[in-house]
Amino acid sequence: MLQAIIGGLTLGSVYALIALGFNLTYTTTRTLNFAQGDFVSVGAFVGLGTVGVLTAALGADAVGYVWLYALAAVAAALAMGVLGLPLYLAAIRPFAGKPGMSWVVSTIGFGIVLQSAALSVWGLGARMLPAPFGDEVFRVGEAGFRSQELVVLVLAFAILGAFDLAMRRTAIGRCMRAVALNRDAAALMGIDVPRVMAMAFLASSALAGLSGVLVAPILSASLFMGVIIALKGFSAAIIGGLTNPRGCMAGGLLIGLVESLTALWSAQWREIMVFLLVILVLAMAPNGLFGRKLVEKV
Amino acid sequence: MTKKKTASTNTAPARRRLTALLGAAAAVLMTTSLQAQAADPIKIAYNGDISGSPSAESGQIGVLGIGAAVEDINKRGGVLGRPLEFLVRDDLGQPPKAIQNMTDLIDREKVSVVFGPTNSGNALAWKHIANQKRMPVLVSSASSTAITEGPASGNYLFRVSMVDREQAAALLAYVKKNPEAKAVGFFVETTGYGQAGLKDLEQIAALHGMKPVSIEKFDARDTDMTSQLSKAKAAGADTLVVWAQAAPLGHLVRSMEKLDYFPKVFTTWAASFSGFPEVAGPKLMEWPVFLTTSSERKSAEADSLFARIGPKLANPSMFWAASQAYDTVLLWAAAAEQAGDTKGEAVRAALESLNKPVAGMVKTYDKPFSATQHEGLTAADYHWSRWKDGKVVDFNDPVLAGLQPADFKK
Repeated sequence: MLQAIIGGLTLGSVYALIALGFNLTYTTTRTLNFAQGDFVSVGAFVGLGTVGVLTAALGADAVGYVWLYALAAVAAALAMGVLGLPLYLAAIRPFAGKPGMSWVVSTIGFGIVLQSAALSVWGLGARMLPAPFGDEVFRVGEAGFRSQELVVLVLAFAILGAFDLAMRRTAIGRCMRAVALNRDAAALMGIDVPRVMAMAFLASSALAGLSGVLVAPILSASLFMGVIIALKGFSAAIIGGLTNPRGCMAGGLLIGLVESLTALWSAQWREIMVFLLVILVLAMAPNGLFGRKLVEKV
Repeated sequence: MTKKKTASTNTAPARRRLTALLGAAAAVLMTTSLQAQAADPIKIAYNGDISGSPSAESGQIGVLGIGAAVEDINKRGGVLGRPLEFLVRDDLGQPPKAIQNMTDLIDREKVSVVFGPTNSGNALAWKHIANQKRMPVLVSSASSTAITEGPASGNYLFRVSMVDREQAAALLAYVKKNPEAKAVGFFVETTGYGQAGLKDLEQIAALHGMKPVSIEKFDARDTDMTSQLSKAKAAGADTLVVWAQAAPLGHLVRSMEKLDYFPKVFTTWAASFSGFPEVAGPKLMEWPVFLTTSSERKSAEADSLFARIGPKLANPSMFWAASQAYDTVLLWAAAAEQAGDTKGEAVRAALESLNKPVAGMVKTYDKPFSATQHEGLTAADYHWSRWKDGKVVDFNDPVLAGLQPADFKK
């Protein structure tokens, strides 16, 4: 049981990071980045590439070098964050605020381009990113854990907490919340709305890239791994409430736990239970457990 | 008059020379034309995944093997005096694309034979087209049992590769013979590959009178199988037969380590794909025992082929994919030579009754196929293998040494 809970919270915290990314773009631009999964996968490979280049250049062993992993995580977050800007400019800005759903296809298309380019660089196979604190199993009673599970759990919670704080206490966070609340009023108050929107995409893409590096030592990096993580992250945002960042985080943890605890009973029912939960929550609370009803002025 | 006569006299040899020249030119043209006709290449093709899924690794290596065979055959004069022209079509691992490729190759390119595919699902998607259009297909990679099961009207699919049913037969023959295997559990993916494997395992286990103490399933994207393994452990399974692709198999052994549960693990050739050692890591990758068609190179010809294509392989331990593909071309070429024709019906008939042994990379094929048997390799041809120091090597033990043909129930 302990093993299932820790495992569930670990993956759940990654879903929460992705859900937070969906929340950021949705509240500021009313659009979603459906290429989020590809940013996760490519981010993992950017991290892997960074570790590879640094270990080759320094002749060092990646395992045990925490700072190498930290650099890889920063590189992935930066690279994916920067890629979030062309995504915003090419796939979102032309359609944001306009009727229609063109951004759905344009973001999916951006993801396909990203994945195809990455495939030509890194190929098809799965690769393991060395865990910074080693790959040994340590035991608590009957349960066994790897250090990376705790690293993910601690880092993800720290990032989620920092984001929550930043959104409430910093100027850019307040600007984002203002744009999320009322774009026109925010503009009248002197906030550069397009810049805030671009920042939202940058932050959301950076979170996806960082998530890729966090889970790569657990899941193994593959250019196909991001799709399901992003789908679960999106489900987490829907369950928690797309408009509420804390709700998104809670939704991620809830999905991770449901998945893991269902597997204890029957692994085949895991996905069924997750999406039954999504349907059940939506039936009872259409705006998610912590979401609020959006009032659209016409 | 004299002048005329002189002219006439002078013209006659000129005409004769012109006629002779024209005749010679015509003869040269005719000869050249005949030579050109004789030298028209025979188009052969690979239709399989070389970029779209993790299995594409075996497709890429298969293409290298076929390319090498084509090069060798062309060096020795081609087939029926005609050079081979090799076309490659990527099906991206998608059945609709595979079907489109197949019809294009048959109807537009007019190929004489198709090799591949990489994925079983794609072979099953287009095998009816090959049979209807009488197109010989030599499968060098896909392993689903049903691929070579054809209609009574004519089965055009032959295989030189692993066969799921044969792998299940070999693995369970070992388990049955092993006195240390008291309780066996089956672990399979929820994909078509895993489900078909489970069906074969259950049927063959029944032939042996074996009943698994645990049957567990997992999604191919799963990375933590501790819950399923806990159940197998609680059921007392000391031996697991696993049907999974490379990466999930890697995650399975990592989950075993988390539980400190290390039953004997027997599995399919998927363990030789690079995804398995990559995920499992250098220590855990040495745990499972699996089957390949050639663990280690054992001939000068294989060494020579490896020297040519080995440097292009990201995972040299999958050289078997090149060997099998190479052999499919040799077998088709031998059949076409025997038939004296490249037409589908003639080649199929010749493949079913090859009158000379064909020395291939995996083995020497002595009457490998018949009208009812389209598998070039069977359980007895497989190599028991395991990873050791980063390479796939032969696995040997007393149980294996004691296996008899009668043990392979299927």
